[in-house]
Amino acid sequence: MKKYDIVVLGGGPGGYIAAIKSSQLGKKVAVVEKDKLGGICLNWGCIPTKTLLSYAKHFQDILRSEDFGIGGIDKEKVYVDIEKMMLKKDETVNKLVSGIHMLFKKNGVDLYNGFGKAIDENNINVNGENLSFDNLIIATGAKAYIPNIKGLKESFESGKAINNIGILGLKDKLDTVLVLGNDTYAVEYATFYNAIGADVTMIFEDKNILPDYDSELSQTLERQLKKSGVKLVNNANIKEVRDDRVLVFQKDKEKEFNADKYIVFYGIRPNLSGIENLKLTKDKNGFIQTDEKLRTNIKNIYAIGDVNGKMPLAHVASFEGVIASENICGIDSKIDYLKIPKVVYSFPEISSIGLSEAEAKIRNINYSIGKFPLSANSMANLKGETSGFVKILADKDMYGEIIGLHIIGNDASNMIAEGASVMNLEGTIYDLAKVVHPHPTLTEAIVEASLDAIDKPLNI
Amino acid sequence: MKFEFQFPDIGEGIHEGVITKWLVKEGDMIKEGDSVAEVETDKVTTEIPSPKTGKVIELRASNGDTIHVGDVFVVIDIQENAEDVSPEDKKDTLTEKKEIVEEENAGVVGEVISSSEVIAPSDENKSDSEDKSNVSKVLATPVARKLAKDLGVDINKVVGSGPSGRVMKEDIIKASKEITVEKQKVVLDETLKTTADLKQEKTIIEDERIERIPLTKIRKTISEKMTQSKFTIPHTTAMDELDVTELYEFRKKYKDSLKEEEINLTFMPFIIKATISVLKKMPEFNSTFDEENDELVLKKFYHIGIATDTDRGLMVPVIRDADRLSIIELARKVEEISNNAKNNQIELKDLKGSSFTITNYGSIGGYYGIPIINYPESAILGVGRIVQKPIIKDNEIVKAWILPLSLSYDHRIIDGASGARFLNMMKDLLENPEMLLLKA
Repeated sequence: MKKYDIVVLGGGPGGYIAAIKSSQLGKKVAVVEKDKLGGICLNWGCIPTKTLLSYAKHFQDILRSEDFGIGGIDKEKVYVDIEKMMLKKDETVNKLVSGIHMLFKKNGVDLYNGFGKAIDENNINVNGENLSFDNLIIATGAKAYIPNIKGLKESFESGKAINNIGILGLKDKLDTVLVLGNDTYAVEYATFYNAIGADVTMIFEDKNILPDYDSELSQTLERQLKKSGVKLVNNANIKEVRDDRVLVFQKDKEKEFNADKYIVFYGIRPNLSGIENLKLTKDKNGFIQTDEKLRTNIKNIYAIGDVNGKMPLAHVASFEGVIASENICGIDSKIDYLKIPKVVYSFPEISSIGLSEAEAKIRNINYSIGKFPLSANSMANLKGETSGFVKILADKDMYGEIIGLHIIGNDASNMIAEGASVMNLEGTIYDLAKVVHPHPTLTEAIVEASLDAIDKPLNI
Repeated sequence: MKFEFQFPDIGEGIHEGVITKWLVKEGDMIKEGDSVAEVETDKVTTEIPSPKTGKVIELRASNGDTIHVGDVFVVIDIQENAEDVSPEDKKDTLTEKKEIVEEENAGVVGEVISSSEVIAPSDENKSDSEDKSNVSKVLATPVARKLAKDLGVDINKVVGSGPSGRVMKEDIIKASKEITVEKQKVVLDETLKTTADLKQEKTIIEDERIERIPLTKIRKTISEKMTQSKFTIPHTTAMDELDVTELYEFRKKYKDSLKEEEINLTFMPFIIKATISVLKKMPEFNSTFDEENDELVLKKFYHIGIATDTDRGLMVPVIRDADRLSIIELARKVEEISNNAKNNQIELKDLKGSSFTITNYGSIGGYYGIPIINYPESAILGVGRIVQKPIIKDNEIVKAWILPLSLSYDHRIIDGASGARFLNMMKDLLENPEMLLLKA
């Protein structure tokens, strides 16, 4: 029987970071992973999706190369070789995954490849071997949720309906795609397939395509998607999914849709197998309840990443891993979910941190708001990608502390980090308005939005 | 760039104000619209907003100083905007300053230039002592720094929960709560010391059985003004009963017909009329004692304050030039201003500048009360409830309507005999309404 200070169950972006951090803090650590290190994010999530989107962006840029004064490209001859694209993507993924193995070695983290079954609050069994631990960090992640829609399960079985894992195994190009659902992945895959030339229709129940984001961002993206040729069917109730068609009710009218594949994204549910013996408190969807230190109801057990359902994002899982490790090691730290950015890698990208305007209203915050359109930003103009804007919210009653930053535009994913930095330092709109930014850059728009919140922007 | 902020004309007729409380310190960053000081004018205490954003580099008055419209009382450096780096700047410069002082002590001879635009000479002991403890720089977020200042928390004593012990907003909020609890404890301890009864000590110590309510601004103002009056003016009070039976009948005669004209004829207009008549003969009662110059300031105008009970507390709306109004006009005016005060519709100009005040506690039910002078006036008339009483008149017991009056006055400038004379004259007028109409 081996004895560890900490056992981490799951080697995704939450688990592997937690393990490395704990080891760096002087603990003896083991990671139990039943599949590949890197979890969904590296193998079937963030990295492959963003790799494909980045390739699709290249393809789009090539198609509009005339805009940049580049001639000689025959648009009819340019095509996407999906098989090669996938292989290229695999190279990137494999490189990053092998990087984690190296990091484990470097930091002295033991890896157990196998299914971990918790015996009790101090023991876990992997491949017949017992590991005892003082603390357990559960980082088992989540799986796709498949709602109870007639025929959907069968469609998955026949291979007509697929999700991210299915998509990444496809070798053929799709001509028509139906995207069911409206989460981040749904938007990103709709963007991808639209960009590489497929006919894409999105069908979803909500009014907005991204209900978790500031509605102005969502509406702007909807316009942009429509402009690019994506058909949006909102307020839609899916009645039945069949291999030859999908039946939908929209405003009491029945409609039919068909496509080569149905790409389905209805959110996630936690992976709880292996931890049945632990009497953990869970919410109604089964996510393990945790506090700001990632503690569960059991004193020596922590839960990080998608399995707690707080904010199912890789960077959140990683940071939660750090927080859990620190708390186990006696360092008092906590997570503030309002200061964590999130991104949708659509064209243009969307990024967001803190409160949306609607949330600020609900919380009765006396806020001021600043906006700046990218059409007035020089970098956006010279790149020929001027759609989008920056929107910033500040709490007037707290000296103008920045409480939200929302960006839609090319490279919004990189720009949002500035908001994260300032917000984590409890910076104010006045601070940000006085930070000189290099010219020309897209981030100048953040300064201008700040000035707008205080008084007036300079460049509009 | 330095901006010299002159005390602004905040309302009709206000020429000066007394700084009751500075809301900023030298070195503070302020935004346009932020209040810099609480200034008390004749009757209301008001916050003066800054017209500029920048750094306060000099406060040119101390608490309690009188400033006149046009006086520069704050100097603001408007080159720097409302940044939160200021405390660091300030501290850095201070560190420098301190080092220099030490060098001087060590006997270094020579020129040491220690001036800095950022640092202004500080007269206030408070900020001095604060600055000294701030010599080392504390890691804190901008919001935490400002919040600490506003909540009166010494940021240097707060343990930060952020990365590297950075003091965050939340830490300041927590610390300020602890301070309040500490303060409460001190008050309780003090109370315990002075309480001999052990049983009583126990009840006081039970936190849940006491409730602490922060004073409203109006209540604070009332409290300050009452204290100022009572601790500055040696009060004395004269009292007398007036037989107002004739006035009672007189009023009764016209009351109902006036009601049709929507005029509510109370005794108050008659009392005001009589008072003004007496004030004209005894101007020391319509005056202010200028302690600094040892002068009596007699007022040639008759602005009568009417103490009014409102939901928010005592207010004293003023009837300006009341001597120029008829009884009926006074009746209308009294009703109007007291309604406005009660409904919170009173304007600043109607709350200031009284030369003499009347308080009608009898309207609520008292017979006699000892009114506190509305500082800086010299006297106040208290009016009790008019009741029917048996009195002896021409050797016979008869029924009479009796009005009790109490007159508090500044004994430094008015002798007891004058107080008695004042009431005698009131008696002459109010006991003979015809005489009142002729004389007033």
